[in-house]
Amino acid sequence: MRSIALLTSCLIALSSLCAAELNLTQSLSSKQILPANFKPPQVFKNVNLVRTTNLDKEYPREVINVIIENIDSKPQSEYYLPFESSLLSRVGGLEVKDKKAAGKLPFKVEVVEYDSYSSTQFYLIHLPEPLQPKAQQTLSISFSVLSALTPVPATINQMDNQYVQYTFSAYSPSAYTTEKQKTKVKFPTANIPDYSVLDAPNADNTEDPQKQGSTFTYGPYANIPAGAEELVSARYEFTKPLTHATLLERDIEVSHWGGNLATEERFWLTNRAATLANQFSRVSWQMTQYSNPPTSALKGLAMPLRIGSLNPYFIDDIGNVSTSRFRSNAREANLELKPRYPIFGGWKYSFRVGWDADLKNYLRKLKTGDTYVLKVPFLEGPRQPEGVEYARVELKIVLPEGATNIHHETSVPLVASEATIHRTFMDTIGRSTLHLTAINLVDEWRDRDIVVTYDYPWTAGFRKPIVIFSALMGLFTVVYVIGSFDVSIGKKKTA
Amino acid sequence: MRWLLLLTASLLPFTAIAAKKAPKDRYQDFRTKSLSSTPLKLDDASYTKLTQAPRDYAVVVLLTALETRFGCVLCREFQPEWELLAKSWTNGDKKGESRVFFGTLDFAEGRNTFQSLQLQTAPVILMFNPTTGANAKVDAQPSRFDFTAGPQSAESIHAWVSRHLPEGPKPAVSRPINYFKIVSVTTAILGLITLVTVTAPYIVPLLQNRNLWAAFSLIAVLLFTSGHMFNHIRKVPYVSGDGKGGISYFAGGFSNQFGMETQIIAAIYGVLSFATISLALKVPRISDPKAQSLAVFLWSGVIFGMYSFLMSVFRMKNGGYPFFLPPF
Amino acid sequence: MATSPVDPLLKQLTGPNTRSLLRVIILLTIAAAAVSSRLFSVIRFESIIHEFDPWFNFRATKYLVQNGFYSFWDWFDDRTWHPLGRVTGGTLYPGLMVTSGIIYHVLRFLTFPVDIRNICVLLAPGFSGLTAFATYLLTNEMVTSPSAGLLAAAFMGITPGYISRSVAGSYDNEAIAIFLLVFTFFLWIKAVKLGSVFWGALTALFYGYMVSAWGGYVFITNLLPLHAFVLICMGRYSPRLYVSYTSWYALGTLASMQIPFVGFLPIRSSEHMSALGVFGLLQIVGFVEFVRNQLPSRQFQTLLRALVLVIFAVSFGGLVLLTVSGVIAPWTGRFYSLWDTGYAKIHIPIIASVSEHQPTAWPAFFFDLSMMIWLFPAGVYMCFRKLTDEQVFIVIYAVLASYFAGVMVRLMLTLTPIVCVASAIAFSQILDTYMSIDSPTPEVQANGTPASASVAAASAMLPDGLRSTRNPIVGIYSYTSKLTVVAASTVYLMLFVMHCTWVTSNAYSSPSVVLASRLPDGSQHIIDDYREAYYWLRQNTPENAKIMSWWDYGYQIGGMADRPTLVDNNTWNNTHIATVGKAMSSREEVSYPIMRQHEVDYVLVVFGGLLGYSGDDINKFLWMVRIAEGIWPDEVKERNFFTARGEYRVDDEATPTMKNSLMYKMSYYNYNALFPAGQAQDRVRNTRLPAEGPQLTTIEEAFTSENWIIRIYKVKDLDNFGRDHGSAVAFDKGNKKKRAHKRKGARTLRVE
Repeated sequence: MRSIALLTSCLIALSSLCAAELNLTQSLSSKQILPANFKPPQVFKNVNLVRTTNLDKEYPREVINVIIENIDSKPQSEYYLPFESSLLSRVGGLEVKDKKAAGKLPFKVEVVEYDSYSSTQFYLIHLPEPLQPKAQQTLSISFSVLSALTPVPATINQMDNQYVQYTFSAYSPSAYTTEKQKTKVKFPTANIPDYSVLDAPNADNTEDPQKQGSTFTYGPYANIPAGAEELVSARYEFTKPLTHATLLERDIEVSHWGGNLATEERFWLTNRAATLANQFSRVSWQMTQYSNPPTSALKGLAMPLRIGSLNPYFIDDIGNVSTSRFRSNAREANLELKPRYPIFGGWKYSFRVGWDADLKNYLRKLKTGDTYVLKVPFLEGPRQPEGVEYARVELKIVLPEGATNIHHETSVPLVASEATIHRTFMDTIGRSTLHLTAINLVDEWRDRDIVVTYDYPWTAGFRKPIVIFSALMGLFTVVYVIGSFDVSIGKKKTA
Repeated sequence: MRWLLLLTASLLPFTAIAAKKAPKDRYQDFRTKSLSSTPLKLDDASYTKLTQAPRDYAVVVLLTALETRFGCVLCREFQPEWELLAKSWTNGDKKGESRVFFGTLDFAEGRNTFQSLQLQTAPVILMFNPTTGANAKVDAQPSRFDFTAGPQSAESIHAWVSRHLPEGPKPAVSRPINYFKIVSVTTAILGLITLVTVTAPYIVPLLQNRNLWAAFSLIAVLLFTSGHMFNHIRKVPYVSGDGKGGISYFAGGFSNQFGMETQIIAAIYGVLSFATISLALKVPRISDPKAQSLAVFLWSGVIFGMYSFLMSVFRMKNGGYPFFLPPF
Repeated sequence: MATSPVDPLLKQLTGPNTRSLLRVIILLTIAAAAVSSRLFSVIRFESIIHEFDPWFNFRATKYLVQNGFYSFWDWFDDRTWHPLGRVTGGTLYPGLMVTSGIIYHVLRFLTFPVDIRNICVLLAPGFSGLTAFATYLLTNEMVTSPSAGLLAAAFMGITPGYISRSVAGSYDNEAIAIFLLVFTFFLWIKAVKLGSVFWGALTALFYGYMVSAWGGYVFITNLLPLHAFVLICMGRYSPRLYVSYTSWYALGTLASMQIPFVGFLPIRSSEHMSALGVFGLLQIVGFVEFVRNQLPSRQFQTLLRALVLVIFAVSFGGLVLLTVSGVIAPWTGRFYSLWDTGYAKIHIPIIASVSEHQPTAWPAFFFDLSMMIWLFPAGVYMCFRKLTDEQVFIVIYAVLASYFAGVMVRLMLTLTPIVCVASAIAFSQILDTYMSIDSPTPEVQANGTPASASVAAASAMLPDGLRSTRNPIVGIYSYTSKLTVVAASTVYLMLFVMHCTWVTSNAYSSPSVVLASRLPDGSQHIIDDYREAYYWLRQNTPENAKIMSWWDYGYQIGGMADRPTLVDNNTWNNTHIATVGKAMSSREEVSYPIMRQHEVDYVLVVFGGLLGYSGDDINKFLWMVRIAEGIWPDEVKERNFFTARGEYRVDDEATPTMKNSLMYKMSYYNYNALFPAGQAQDRVRNTRLPAEGPQLTTIEEAFTSENWIIRIYKVKDLDNFGRDHGSAVAFDKGNKKKRAHKRKGARTLRVE
């Protein structure tokens, strides 16, 4: 059920990727509903496919390099990529580029929906120019899968190492026949207690998989039919926290008067790592603090902010958290957060951080007219060696009161974007605000920017002082008038 | 547990005698004794005899140290209550249905018992339930009442006893009505009324005298603000000697004080406010310039000195108080 | 403060407008000083709610703001006193919450994105400014000198006696109650002076507000009747008194009965009977006066007077009768323990256990009032000069309040305003006398100091004025004497200010939730264990996990951890508290069923042994035992927690009962694992702990904060194999049994 909801949202998202401004109707029209008995037309074949799965972070990063060939008689431009539906709701940031021209913008990608009860769903990749018959093209498809690692065993002791299991298909999922393919799996460690070995020998009759150090290779396989699947799984040591943010709310407030850009981020973190077999023992925790061995508990978060960020704060529901450090100088502005308690597997921690920054580093006024261009990072937040994954990110950009004609543009796939009014600090008409929502992001997307352009006439800046002044004047006059009435009964006493 | 062992051990010599007497008539002669005088005055021998198992009656024994050389205030305070309880109980059931004895064992007579019980505090009430008979308790262990909560009234002990007793008659404590007190109080009241009526013409102007009321209320204020109620409630000592044989007038520590101390403080306050009053009211009424300026300097000096002394005393009470006035 | 002596100086030179402007400016500065001197804790730590009760008020306020007034009014809180719950809406004084709720909504209407927490934190300082102003008004009603009011306002603004309960973050009823107290008194004085129904009604209005804000309203309820009564006895009966009192009593009683918590108390309980009695008395006296004016026969008047006395006596007897027969509730324990000071210690251990209900030693007075403590009697004395009605009020208030403050530390609060007023009167008297520019020349004897007229009036009014004010005022001749006095008083004022600042910053500005310690390099290190543990509970336990702890922490758990508690600081159910006390002080086998019955999931104890934090549960343990013993005298015995020598120990000497008590076990469980074997140190008790630490069977350690101040234990579920936990654990440990060994004390007779 949930996957379906996410599915639809993905749909809107990917379509609105190219929609430069807030006109959702146009993008919604591009959504296509397919008949229930849909099969991707067998117009392509994968000549050669190499899939690389990188497991050194807490979320697997897949890169599929495939040479496709048009085996149809007429030019084709729609390449389908199948996903198992539960997996599709966890796939984040799928990007397709032309391997030959990596500098180009990514292709247009969208989720196509037909029978929502089917177990397979498709991404539809639009090639920018239709591929001629017999012609070939190399696609490089990259995406990452969230909450894909499951700790096995699920409960460990406080000091134990943690092992996680990743299950995937040895055959890369494809809607077309694949002549030749193999799957490379890069593990972060050589400590891999068990992994599935395929008895069916592969094309060049070696044992499957082949190991070089911490890299496994499944395949090569020849002539795999469309939609074929061979589930394999590997269990390897990963004694690091699986930091998972169920929700990140991020507010950015622009103030022209103060020349200030205020940012606040609210996190709902949880640690997907193995839970504690026994309860938390402070004694053994304090013992390990001197030599800190790898642990599956989340001890702290490092947030590299943009240089020039000022007076940060780190609070949670019950007030200030005193265990944070902020190192700021010309080269860096590092905010090091330490939660109130170490976050073990299954534990939660929700908090908020905020900081200010000088607006002129982010805002630029166009030569012509009163148009301003705001360029801020779509996502900041912590950068961890093992990575952080965000199930949902809600960005709110509050523009100054009276800003009009607002457009935004970003390379981050959005699922929703709307404009509302936000009233605060004695606003009269309120401040126009952008609400942008993205799902399944990972901390690699920190450096993606969002660009907002809006018009802001200089007169708008003087609305508030005038309003307040006139209100006070009115108040005084009223008081004066009332005070001048004599409502006393009989002759006045002298107090 | 272990002092029961010791108890039985200490019983050994007596078992011989005790074996001869059946519990029945043991009960009888204690009964007669108690009817003549209760609570029974016990010594080591009679104590062991009384509390020895098997017994088909209950025994409540107060182990106390009445003699003044032990200086047990609590014991002496409690003694009348105890006797009241015992008497009213014994009178309560003449037929002795409850089969309870009340005994008092003074440390003077019962030294051995005290030691065998390893008692280091007095008073203590021990209650032995019957071991045989209809309402026998399984554990021969006597239940014990310590006076940790301070002095007890006869009623509270009565409640405790009857809580431990099996069902049966539990005659309530009957305090004898103190006729003398009533009479004296009434006469006093009547006398007071007559006195008032007679002396009214002299009293009334006195009552209307402003200085009197002023003095009264000032004294009250000074008393209360100098912590008199604290002395009253906490019953602090008047003074206490310091280690070196001298007297220390000021108790150490922020939140305790001596009686003497509060009086000194009250005096200081009094002097200070009197000086203030004279500066404010008396001095401007002095018509002779010389006398006036003299008075001004006098009173200002008094205030200054007193205040500085007060602060020095306060520094003594509250270490780390940074402020002071010369000279102290 | 230093500005206020300037005021009378300018008086001679400037016109009334300049003066009133100056007065406004001075009052504003005073208010600013009052507010800013209460912000130490915010600056040092953060904007946080302080110790215990404020957390409940804060929680209630949030509930009010979220769910609206009516659902707050009938709020049944099932997250406290589990499983009983508490009818919170009907058992609290809503004034505080409603006030901050209104402020919150006004600000929201002006679209200020202000957090309710900050309103709650800053409410007390804000109101302290108002209190200073109210004191100014009250004092101005008392004396003619204009500087007295300003001085009183300044005193009130910065005196520690009031700051102690109104620093930023101490969000308690007293925060607004003191302002209401003073302002109600001002209105009352005004009403008595003018005899106008309007002011009487205003008094009633603010009295009602006061009733809704603080239980201390009883003080007003008894002080105003006393004032009226004394006035009558002094033969000062007047229609003004009649009008003001009756209008206050009628309206005020009605207003007070609107509060659910008060309800019908005003006509049912003894605390309010004096007001009723005086009301009746006033009717009679009024009637008599009326008749006397009609027919002047002397016999008839004597008859009437007799009649009055008889009726008064009869009605008083009736009152006593009703009280005895129980129609009128006798005094509540807290109130009763004010008069019979030994009462609480014996009968209500819970009340006796609270530190702020202890009597006051004299250093506390000086600590809170400094110089004013000796100016105070002088001021009271000066009120006797011309004993006007309002000055009678000062005298009564002074005597009563100082008695109460002597009995209970907490009531220092009610004493402070009158101390400020009285000492301001005295001080301003001196300043006015010695700061007048013009000196008398010996032949010109009469110079216009306001006192002289009054003295004349007084001596005319009754033959014996005060002995100190017989002969007329001349004034001060020499400038040197003026200078001396003025200089001295300036020094005293400066000293007073420094004292107040010092006391405030050192004694009254730490939010006991966050502890601060100094690192060797002098920098401040914050010990935040409470919030660490509370937040862990809030995030990582199920929404309805029941937390058992001693009642001190109930409100904090409710506010910060947002979890249901068994008992909290609103100690309305002694038995329930005793149950918790029993569970804490009994053996595990005994307490486990209790905890199961009450569906306890987690147990929270406070342990200071590692840090030397003395306010921990082992030190409060004896109170738990006592309270439990009060209900189960046979199962919990305080005696068993003392060694044979009667000492309270936690080391090897500790009694078996102590060592087996749940509290002891939870405090020291696993503690000696921190130290080399046999070296375990308790830094509060300064003792070495037994080499072998306690074992737990029915509960397991769930969380321990960084400095071990808070320890949370999870109550185990029933054993899967149906074994009892003891044998289960023993089995897991390979049948390692622990044995408690007895020690034998030396044999010496100690008598108490």
